[in-house]
Amino acid sequence: MMSEATPVGLGELKSGSRPGEVLVCYGLGSCVGLALYDAVAHVGVMVHVLLPDSSLGRSTDAPPGKFADTAIPAGIAEAVRLGALRSRLVARTAGGARMLNIVGAGSKLDIGARNSEAVRAGLQQHGIRLANEDVGGTYGRTVQLFIGTGRLLVSTVGRGEREL
Amino acid sequence: MAGMMLREGEYQTLLAIVRKGLDDSSRALSSMTTGGIRLQAPRLEFLPLNVVPGIAGGPEVVVVAVYLGIEGDLNGHLMLLFTRDTALRVVDMLLEAPPGTTATLDEIGVSALAETGNVCGSSFLNALSDRTGLKIVPTTPVVVTDMAGAILQSVVTELYLNGDEVLMVETAFNREMPGHFLLMPDQDSMARLIAALEVIG
Repeated sequence: MMSEATPVGLGELKSGSRPGEVLVCYGLGSCVGLALYDAVAHVGVMVHVLLPDSSLGRSTDAPPGKFADTAIPAGIAEAVRLGALRSRLVARTAGGARMLNIVGAGSKLDIGARNSEAVRAGLQQHGIRLANEDVGGTYGRTVQLFIGTGRLLVSTVGRGEREL
Repeated sequence: MAGMMLREGEYQTLLAIVRKGLDDSSRALSSMTTGGIRLQAPRLEFLPLNVVPGIAGGPEVVVVAVYLGIEGDLNGHLMLLFTRDTALRVVDMLLEAPPGTTATLDEIGVSALAETGNVCGSSFLNALSDRTGLKIVPTTPVVVTDMAGAILQSVVTELYLNGDEVLMVETAFNREMPGHFLLMPDQDSMARLIAALEVIG
């Protein structure tokens, strides 16, 4: 089966329902890749979440994937639109790293941990089960969601691959 | 091409400062080694934040980044970005080893790159300070090898809170070793920088 990779850029939300499709968040650092999948309908959504909360943003026209609190309802709605059943949706997440470990300087760079936490809280609030997560650490991750099988593959530089 | 936020005169002033900063960096790096090291042909560009994670050939490309925070009158980030191969060759050059000697980035290599970041960062910020009167100091450099997207994203994310663009300086070490040099002030700092450039211009 030929697979076609669809990159999911910063703040983007992409979905798929064709078996050959693969949704990919390349090089996640502090961002969180949120995958929603319905294993019966074989429908999947991937969101590249940048920041924990939309109250942090200035503009009102931000893409829905940018903030955890808006990304989750938008992701659910998109999956449902493609034929998923909300009650069957299962979430998996990866990312939320602290890439630049800087001592002192009152650094706000640990936005990764806040992102993971916000996604977790948002999923709970919307009643979506978080099946597995691979978050934190100090390294980058590329995350691929295979629409046909629901397989979620996390790859790293020098730390191997992991399936969630 | 000038960015949206700079007028032509300010852009030229900034370009002159960047050239001076790179010249000073070259001189400092050359004096650390016997061979001449030359940072050349800067290209100055304002980039929208969302394209930044892809500047080094794609977000999944493995890069070596030397990161320094900047503090004082300007707050933000400074980053030197190399491909893994280029980073190894820069280490060869600094250790005065024949090209190809350094095969992996060990502790000595990492500290050589950190020093490169220190030298380039300080020279560049000094040139900027001298011309604008703004007080700017770099923090201790951190060297990270990972996917470009992952590294850049962590910085960009923070800037996203209040800005849309970063200033990118593209340069090369001795012509054949391309690298990126990113100056990413936060939005308030960018306003202060532009105000200072206006005064000079």
